[in-house]
Amino acid sequence: MNDNFVLDEVDRAIVQQLRDNGRATNQQIAETLGLTAATVSSRIRRMEDANKLRVVAVSDFAAHGYNMLMQVAIEVDGRPATEVATELAELPEVFAAHLVTGRHDIDILIALHDSDELPDFLQHKLAPVRGIRTIVPSIVTDVLKYKFDVAPIEAREGE
Amino acid sequence: MTAPTLDQLDRQLIDILAHDARVSNRKIAADLGVTEGTVRGRIKRLQQDGLIAFTAITSLRLEDSVKLAIIGVQAEYARLRPIAEQIAAFPNVDAVMIAMGRFNILVVCLFSELDRLYALASDQILVIDGVHHVETSIAVKTVKYNSRVVRIAEAERVVDADGG
Repeated sequence: MNDNFVLDEVDRAIVQQLRDNGRATNQQIAETLGLTAATVSSRIRRMEDANKLRVVAVSDFAAHGYNMLMQVAIEVDGRPATEVATELAELPEVFAAHLVTGRHDIDILIALHDSDELPDFLQHKLAPVRGIRTIVPSIVTDVLKYKFDVAPIEAREGE
Repeated sequence: MTAPTLDQLDRQLIDILAHDARVSNRKIAADLGVTEGTVRGRIKRLQQDGLIAFTAITSLRLEDSVKLAIIGVQAEYARLRPIAEQIAAFPNVDAVMIAMGRFNILVVCLFSELDRLYALASDQILVIDGVHHVETSIAVKTVKYNSRVVRIAEAERVVDADGG
C-alpha cells in the first residue's frame, strides 16, 4: 500500500466537505465541488486506506456518562517516563497520555462518571503506578473550545 | 451537564458510526435489525442532543510534523471567563478549558513551528490584560489519544444528518 502520497487540492477540498458534514453523500460532495461521485468515492477510499483520513462519529463524554474531566500533570522519578505513561494509558479512565517537556514529565486527561469516583481513582488506580513522584490535578469546570479533527490515526484492526 | 439516558441501540449506533461515519442508514438498519426510519431518527436525536457529531479526522502523524502543546494560564480570577473566551477566539487554539488547579485556564494547540507556539504563548496570550503567567509543555510523544470521545462544543451541535 502506498501511504506516502501527498494530499492534493481535490483531496483537501473533499476533506473540508467531510469536516463540515461527515455524513454528506458522495453525490452531494461531488455536486458541491464539480466532481463525479466516483471520483469522490475513490479519493476518500485512497486517503482512508493510507491511514490519512477517518470519517467518524465523535461522541461527547456525556454520552458515555462521564461528567468529570480532569487533567493531571505527573512528575516521574526512578523509572522511565515512557513506562509510566504506558502503564497509565492502560487505565480506561485515561483518555490521553502525553510525554511532555517542562516542569512535569507526563500529562494525562482523565474522565470520571462523577466526583465520587475521584478518591478511589487517585488511591487505587493512580497511586499504585510505580515511578509517580508527584501529581498536580486540575479539575475542568468548563470547556469553551474543543476541536478534534486532527489526531493520531492508527491502522484499522485487521488491516 | 445532566446525563441523558442512552439505551442499547444508541450505544450500538455510536459504536458503528465511531468506526465509520459513512455507512448508510440502510446497512446500519439491516445489521441491527431495525428500520431505516429508526436509524435516521436516533441519529438525528443524538446529534440534536449534542451527544455525537460527524467529522473527518486527518492524521496528526503525517500532517507536516504537527506537534501538540499544552499551555497553562494563570489569569485573574474575577475576569476568568472573558479571558478564556478571548483565548478561545484565536484560530490557532484547539481547546480551551477553565480549570481548578495550578492553572485556571488550560489551552491545547497544535503547531508545526516552534516560533508559532512561542508567538501564541507570549504575543497572544500573555499580553491579555489579567493574564499573570503562562507555562508551555510540548508533547514529545503521545502514548494514548482517544479521538472518538470529545467534548462537543455548541457550535458543532446542529449539523443536518440525512446521510444515506
